[in-house]
Amino acid sequence: MLSRVASSLYWLSRYVERSDGILRMLKINYASSQDTIQEFTWDPVIRISSGGNEEEMAAIKNDSRSVVEYLLFNRDNPNSIINIITLARENARSVQEHIATDLWQCLNEYYHTVKDPKLLWYVQKDDPITALDILIKQVMLYYGTADSTMERGEIRSFMSIGKYLERSIQSIDILDIKFISISSNPDLLTDTSYWKHLLLSLGGYELYLKTYRGGFEADNIMELVILNKDFPRSAIYSVNNILRYFERLKSDKNLDHYNSLSFNIGRLNSSITYTTVYSMEAEGLHNYLIKLKNELYGIGNLLDKYYFANY
Amino acid sequence: MSGVNLNTYQNVPDTWDEMYISDNNLREQYHKIVEYLKKESASDLNKKEELAKRLFMSQGITFTVYDSGEGIEKIFPFDIIPRVITSSEWGFIEKGIKQRLKALNLFLKDVYSNQFIIKDKVIPAALIYSCPHFLREMYQLNVPHDIYIHIAGIDLIRDYDGTFYVLEDNLRTPSGVSYMLENREITKRLFPDLIPQCKVRSVTEYPSILYKNLQALSPRAVSNPTIVLLSPGMYNSAYYEHTTLARLMGVELVEGRDLVIRDQKVFMKTTTGLQQVDVIYRRVDDDFIDPLVFNPSSVLGVAGLMSAYRKGNVAIINAVGNGVADDKAVYSYVPDMIKYYLNEEPLLKNVPTYSLDDPDQKEYVFQNMNKMVIKKTNESGGYGMLMGHAATEKEMEDYKKEILKDPRNFIAQPTISLSTAPCYMDGVLQPRRVDLRPYALVGPDGISIVPGGLTRVALKEGSLVVNSSQGGGSKDTWVLSS
Repeated sequence: MLSRVASSLYWLSRYVERSDGILRMLKINYASSQDTIQEFTWDPVIRISSGGNEEEMAAIKNDSRSVVEYLLFNRDNPNSIINIITLARENARSVQEHIATDLWQCLNEYYHTVKDPKLLWYVQKDDPITALDILIKQVMLYYGTADSTMERGEIRSFMSIGKYLERSIQSIDILDIKFISISSNPDLLTDTSYWKHLLLSLGGYELYLKTYRGGFEADNIMELVILNKDFPRSAIYSVNNILRYFERLKSDKNLDHYNSLSFNIGRLNSSITYTTVYSMEAEGLHNYLIKLKNELYGIGNLLDKYYFANY
Repeated sequence: MSGVNLNTYQNVPDTWDEMYISDNNLREQYHKIVEYLKKESASDLNKKEELAKRLFMSQGITFTVYDSGEGIEKIFPFDIIPRVITSSEWGFIEKGIKQRLKALNLFLKDVYSNQFIIKDKVIPAALIYSCPHFLREMYQLNVPHDIYIHIAGIDLIRDYDGTFYVLEDNLRTPSGVSYMLENREITKRLFPDLIPQCKVRSVTEYPSILYKNLQALSPRAVSNPTIVLLSPGMYNSAYYEHTTLARLMGVELVEGRDLVIRDQKVFMKTTTGLQQVDVIYRRVDDDFIDPLVFNPSSVLGVAGLMSAYRKGNVAIINAVGNGVADDKAVYSYVPDMIKYYLNEEPLLKNVPTYSLDDPDQKEYVFQNMNKMVIKKTNESGGYGMLMGHAATEKEMEDYKKEILKDPRNFIAQPTISLSTAPCYMDGVLQPRRVDLRPYALVGPDGISIVPGGLTRVALKEGSLVVNSSQGGGSKDTWVLSS
């Protein structure tokens, strides 16, 4: 496969996954902003998911509709849904003949849906959750279509690596930001709705209730989000999958590159497998998460170098 | 509910209409379509029009117009009423195009080797050597199977009596074939059952014929040669077509930056290292194909590609340098080429063409400018044209000055009143001018022309210009089986 194509597939997949994460987080946070007596703070959400400038965000951070609009439609925010879906589509367009026609159409529809003026109207004048639901449905269609139409080979491997790399970084970011807020405001530790929203925005609320009966504990949340192998948004689940899809790329033609990257991914996979909640706490959760993220970025860089010919 | 009213359709005077012989006197090939339309109400047809637009949009069959950084998606306008060609008309077109392509291909072989046609004074040497698309780099370069023109999109028009004329031979990188394929797919959805009822011949074979031809051109004798389609990239207006063709043939779509030359061989950069490329179907113009030989600032091509080509290590489709054969001034000699190389009478007529390099002809053209279409010899897409019947005095005077600066660069043709075909507009059928571009594929086993083509429509009332860049649209084109 062409290096350029591999790179586009990987980024296409990262962007779609990113949009999924942002949309879900927005939905949960918007809902909780309608269910609070104090002023709802959008600060953590904005910090996780926007790349825009600070002043602009400070001006809108207490107005839920404006935040949703900013994160969905603002062209100056590099991480707005409209911008990442445009990028996802441009990547898909440049590799159109490698992905299933159905998948291309799906992504194309997603793009046109984001641009539909009606969506903006829902956000500004009507019920913003309707707009978010419409978009989330587009992502779900994308994943369903990808699963049932894409060939299982190199293409799928690069797309999956992109997806899980993006997902693990997102979960780590969300966890990190939430725990940082606690260190400055310990009252949150006992605030049930705070934890509930964290879990809901990761889609892990129901699993948490089933796994750990009785109340929210910081330890249990860390365990779920980083170490639970059955939770599809946990860091370990994503790293396992990165390893699994990467191993399928093994070929005699570029064994050196393969071995070198395989070493890094394997090391990360082992280290996370033998991590416990206690060892994370001993190291300091924030430090641990930063280290984990750097490992993941390093894998991205090596892919760039060895597989996408960007040197 | 009453059907669509067909009584308002008015033939344009002195013009061949594809559907009506005269008012209310239908040509036979349109009977079934008209019957069908009579059963549909205007709102049904409006719905079909909407459906067509939606299908084009959702499949991403669009081109992007960049306006202040924001890409605006547009669809190439599509008229839902198919244009019909009878089997006998098609038989004639097919023979005519094959004859023409045979001669043009021999001409290219000749001008790039022995130049008998110049030595025998059939074509003046000055005309050939003054053509900017005559490339000395191609001289004595052996192309596989002596085929220069692998894909041609010859534009045909019909005069008032229905005679077919060749307007242009597009022998470089003709585009639009994906619209031939997509228009048919969409028409299948718009008019269920009508296509089999009318016995319309299928166009779906195009990609497999092209693929077979490309495969046969591989210089390496390997069972599975690497074939790529070289595109300028996603910002090119024909990008949709490039991806469609690559997908339908199952070949790799590459850009210049994906390719690299080593030891006069072409390789593509893959995730598992370099892989040798045997055949390049390129949609990049000659000028941009190799910065070492042609335009040095081009980033669309591959440095060193021409050396690999000359060495015979790669096949390029279409051959480089074909522009000398579809130059608008060389065009007027194509009937002579047919006589010279094939000893045959040309089947398809040329539009009479005046060379502005010739003082007598130039004088005649200047006297009769309001009846002429004047074109630049090396422009395409309907740019730089003067339509005499619609031009003002001042425009004509300005154009004359342009011509006098470089007469070789212009030709003039009498205004041909293109044939009209019915289009569905504002709830009724209206006549609009059309042309026809069938796509011919030339391979080592001969010439095949897929029964169909692209019918382009001048959507503005009274307009004679069908180019998409000048507000033209397209129609599905039906060739009936006998």
